[in-house]
Amino acid sequence: MSNSLIGIAAVAAALLVWLVAVFNSLVVLRARVRDAWSDIDVQLKRRHDLIPNLVAAVEGYMAHERSTLEAVTRARAQAVALANGTVAGRARAESALSGALAKFVAVAEQYPQLRAVESVQLLQEQLTSTENRIAFARQFYNDEVMKFNTAQAVFPRNLVAGILGFSPATMFAAQDGEREIAKVSV
Amino acid sequence: MRIAEHGMSANTTKAPAIGPRVSESFFDAQRRYRRATWRLSLASVLAATVMGIPIALTITPLLYAAGLIIAEIVNIWMPLPQSFWRLSNELAHYGLITFGWITGNQTANPKVLLVGGAVLLLPGALLSVALWLGINSLFRRAGVGGALLALNARDPNPSELSELRLSDVVQEMAIAAGLPAPRIMLIDSAASNAAAIGTSPHDARIVITRGMLDRLNRDELEGALAHLVASIGNGDLKIAFRVASVFETFGLLVALINSPFGPRSRRTLWRIVRYGLRAKRTGDAGAPEAAAVADLLSGGANLDTDDIDNLFDATYKKRSVFRSIRNFLLFPIFFTNVAIKLSLWFFSLSLLEPCMALLWRTRVYLADAAAVQLTRNPDGLAEALRKLNSERAPVPGGAWAAHLFLVNPAGSDRMNDPKEEAAGRQMLAKMWAASQQNEGADSPAPSRANSPLLIQEVLATGRAAVAGDHKALARMAAFRQAAATALGKSPDELPTVEDMAAAQHGDKAAIQRLLRFSQKMNANQPIKGDANRVSRESGTGFAGFHPSLKRRLKRLDRMGAHVKIEATGRKTWIVIAALALLLGPFALAGVALLLLLIAIMMMSSVAFLAVWMAFIHQIFVLFLHH
Repeated sequence: MSNSLIGIAAVAAALLVWLVAVFNSLVVLRARVRDAWSDIDVQLKRRHDLIPNLVAAVEGYMAHERSTLEAVTRARAQAVALANGTVAGRARAESALSGALAKFVAVAEQYPQLRAVESVQLLQEQLTSTENRIAFARQFYNDEVMKFNTAQAVFPRNLVAGILGFSPATMFAAQDGEREIAKVSV
Repeated sequence: MRIAEHGMSANTTKAPAIGPRVSESFFDAQRRYRRATWRLSLASVLAATVMGIPIALTITPLLYAAGLIIAEIVNIWMPLPQSFWRLSNELAHYGLITFGWITGNQTANPKVLLVGGAVLLLPGALLSVALWLGINSLFRRAGVGGALLALNARDPNPSELSELRLSDVVQEMAIAAGLPAPRIMLIDSAASNAAAIGTSPHDARIVITRGMLDRLNRDELEGALAHLVASIGNGDLKIAFRVASVFETFGLLVALINSPFGPRSRRTLWRIVRYGLRAKRTGDAGAPEAAAVADLLSGGANLDTDDIDNLFDATYKKRSVFRSIRNFLLFPIFFTNVAIKLSLWFFSLSLLEPCMALLWRTRVYLADAAAVQLTRNPDGLAEALRKLNSERAPVPGGAWAAHLFLVNPAGSDRMNDPKEEAAGRQMLAKMWAASQQNEGADSPAPSRANSPLLIQEVLATGRAAVAGDHKALARMAAFRQAAATALGKSPDELPTVEDMAAAQHGDKAAIQRLLRFSQKMNANQPIKGDANRVSRESGTGFAGFHPSLKRRLKRLDRMGAHVKIEATGRKTWIVIAALALLLGPFALAGVALLLLLIAIMMMSSVAFLAVWMAFIHQIFVLFLHH
């Protein structure tokens, strides 16, 4: 065996090992991205389950705000109906639900007697937490997508990532219709 | 879209928010700290190695002597081959040559030196590494902070708003970090502090006090918990465990060397063996015992509780022939012992502890940066740290857990402060013994004041009383009485066991009573650290395991927090520089003297050992040829 042949074989072996390593690391990152996406779904579903309780708890106190409550219930029903549909449809429905809830919270602030009722306080805290959890799940998803995309884009890997079957994932962008809730001082 | 905190917008200590002033993104900060961690881990390993050299040099002659004695004894029944004696002779030769080369008497060729070096260092080094691995495997299941598991902690009550908020915030941070949510342990104390304990992200717990829940708003709580969750995710629990295990290894070494002399070391070793045999039954029940043993070990490197001194004092009191003979026979080990203790004390204090402390502080900065990544809100964490730091009160739990807390609970900044511990334990022992006199004659013998076993006993009795055991209830009632007389208060001011049981079940009135008691206890103790002196912290960070508040706030400021920090004045730097110049030469001279002393101790130990070995050999020869 001539020396050059051995040399080429060694280089090819090293290249193969490197390719395998790159593939494995990208597979792991992609799996994490998919996990993170399904975690968002978990939090969205949790919100669906929580809303009927909230509406039932405040119904007695907010008799004059029937329209706001009905809007929330309708938005929730819509989101549940589209839960197994396309991503775009679901995203629209969920952001509509977030908007309806935001209006509901703003309106509920005008009912001081609500703040004193303990069960309503607890439910409000749960609602706050649910929105936060959705937001954090999205943030985690975005962080994982960033890691995945960066891993694909750095120099030696970007040459082979496409060939190995990986493409950059899309980040979760804020939808229209979602607004920041202004801080309200007591 | 996040629903921000309602109703808590006014915060007069913040500078006006003019927009993002980020000069370092948290990703860059995290990258920087991770690189620093590698460098510091390497430095710590080097420091431990440097520290290990004098210790190995001291232990090796002892191990050889022990080996030779065993060989001589075995030789009586089963004669060992001649090659064995020749080999041991050759090894001794190599060792002598290398030793002579070190002291500058002889020249030698490098190969001989290499073998001689291995001969001199290897046994001691192997023993240390074996002990370290043993300690790692023994305590690994228990993890860090086991002492805190023994406290009267409960789960948060979901029907109480601030506790529900706590559970929610922990869940939110776990989601943001992509980790399983740690279990929460809530302590009904008015002190404000929190810690992360456990072994791994799957097994971690967060210990938090009720006082902290009351003081912080949602954003600040979020920042603080983000720090804890981030440190769990970064693997700080394992690092804390490794740091502690290094110190425990040295304590075990000292206990081994001490064991011929001191009953206390023998008891420590016995407890370790017992814990090791029972290690299958771990989990929550095992962790406090593990922490107690770890406590014993880490205190073992402490020069105050010295069996050797006790021994040599005691010999003047109790003259018995057996004791005198034993002391005479074991005399060389005395020098070995002193040499090891001196090197441990010196190198640990000047080299190893600062390295480990620097490493730990870098991990704290990393957790801070990761917390900002999780919350995207550096202000929350900054405010929380400021609030927690302005009111530092002691939180119960072994001194070993101090570095796991968010801010330093009041007390020294070192990992293990023996004096405070000793004072507290003396008082506890007195009160506990007093409560026993009210009991019947069938009570077991009281534990010694200095043993962590005492604390475990008190806590176990307390837990049993909360669970409803009548004898335990009676004992705790008597303990409460004794504590009242010792502290000079009326018994009504102290909490009852019934209150603690009710608090477990979420009784709000009981919780309030416990909090009030805790507040009064803290009011009586001097609080180190003070809101106005934030710029000059105790434990300025040289040897402390907690970074100073000012440094943490400065780094948070670089990541965009809006905090106002006082710069260190020019005058302070001048004073520090002047002091360094003045005291520097003296400090260096002191260090050189200490190193000389250690070298002398080591050489005398070897010399004594050689004489002693020759003596024993002669005895064997006489014995055999009789």
